Amino acid sequence: MTADVQTLASESGCHLFSGCGFPSPGLNVFEFKPIFSIGAFDFTKPMLLALISMLLVIGFFWSAFAKPKMVPRGAQNVGELGYLFVRDNISRETMGKKGDPYVPFLFSIFFFVWVMNVMAIIPFAQFPATSRIAFPASIVGVVYVTYLVLGIKNQGFVGYFKNMMFPPGLPKAIYFLLAPIELLQGLITRPFTMAVRLFANMFAGHMLIVTFSVGAWYLLGFHIGALFSATSFLVVVILTAFELMIQALQAYIITLLAASYISSSLEAEH
Amino acid sequence: MIFLANSEEKMNPLLPPLDEIIIGGVAFLIVFGFLWKMLLPKIAKTLADRTDAIEGGLKRAEEAQAEAQAELERYRDQLTEARREAGRLTEDAREQGAVAIAEMRAEGQRIKDEIVTAGHTQIEADRNQAQNALRQDVGRLAVDLASRIVGESLEDEARQRRVVDRFLEELEAKASATATSEKVR
Amino acid sequence: MDGAAWSSVGYLLSGMLFYGGIGWLIDRWTGHSALFLPIGLVVGIALSLVLVFVRHGRSS
Repeated sequence: MTADVQTLASESGCHLFSGCGFPSPGLNVFEFKPIFSIGAFDFTKPMLLALISMLLVIGFFWSAFAKPKMVPRGAQNVGELGYLFVRDNISRETMGKKGDPYVPFLFSIFFFVWVMNVMAIIPFAQFPATSRIAFPASIVGVVYVTYLVLGIKNQGFVGYFKNMMFPPGLPKAIYFLLAPIELLQGLITRPFTMAVRLFANMFAGHMLIVTFSVGAWYLLGFHIGALFSATSFLVVVILTAFELMIQALQAYIITLLAASYISSSLEAEH
Repeated sequence: MIFLANSEEKMNPLLPPLDEIIIGGVAFLIVFGFLWKMLLPKIAKTLADRTDAIEGGLKRAEEAQAEAQAELERYRDQLTEARREAGRLTEDAREQGAVAIAEMRAEGQRIKDEIVTAGHTQIEADRNQAQNALRQDVGRLAVDLASRIVGESLEDEARQRRVVDRFLEELEAKASATATSEKVR
Repeated sequence: MDGAAWSSVGYLLSGMLFYGGIGWLIDRWTGHSALFLPIGLVVGIALSLVLVFVRHGRSS
């Protein structure tokens, strides 16, 4: 199972008109040979990228916030912008001021996810760890536990599930039909869609970029193929720009959803 | 979630391998721990301080001004109080002075009266003495005069004395009658 | 844009899952191949939409 785009294309070593078919990338671009193994445990590239992302996030905000100045400069300026974005546009927008204790949590989600996403277009990394379902799932798992615990703590066990299953303002008969959907939504589909949305976006984005990159390599030649190759390469550039946007957007959405779920745990909706 | 370790034959991208979940979760928790406990409190405090420095600066200036105003007010009050106190002291002094003057005046009056009374007494004593002396002189003179006029020596001492006394009594009676009649009138 | 818009997908999925599942079970018991499953899916979607409307549509 090969991993890198370059190795995938170059190992196959085939181009248009050279007698071999297009080496279409599949799920195999998401599987990696272990970098090293300890017993049954394989350390793979996505894990490495996740750890690097962790170090990057901590490192950057360390340099930005460790010795804060009243008049910000450099990294602190950028960091403050990020902090204010999460606090004002995500936390306070969703929960108001009572969400302020959860800003560090949301902040961590946003920047950790974002950096992992951005790894998709960093040279040599070129792989978003979040396109492996495990990484979104682990973060969503933490969010899931957080909002369940918060909900039960704030509204009581019965109260929390009552508020979840019986939104006010409906005729009694219809609760019979809607309550199962609410329960399913609150306990299963909510975390599931949350993780899958991030995963699927990054998965699809990476797949697209790999396909067109491989295509550009495959089409490269001295014939008319050079034109196709250039076109394919242009698509890669455009897709990369597009992905840059998607990466930030998905990080924003998963943070927003976390904020929204925490908010619904703090108090019954409406 | 199902542990699906490295099953390369069955690549299902929706089934997360446990090792990746653990690494992802731990990495996230480490990020969260650092940001939550160490870094974000600092920046939150800095932001709050900055807001405080901007908004609070105005507020503090206002407070300082109010304080200065209060201080001024207090000084003014104290000044007024001091003035009133001074006025009161002056008034007291004036009153005390007046009393002292009045006392001294009374004392003077008393001494004057004493002196005057003493003078009167002295004068009265002198007058009595003079009157007595005068009376003896007048008696002798009258006797002498009468002797000469009568030409006869009235040597008999007793007689002389009786005559003079009778004369003087007459005189006194006359005088006292006059005085009484004047008093009545 | 708040979380509500993004969580409506979850509602739709939940509705389809639950009522589709019931439909599938009825199909199995009654021996039909695919009669109650599609009905269940549609009912699930409809009820989910009602829920999304109740939860988020009226508050804003």
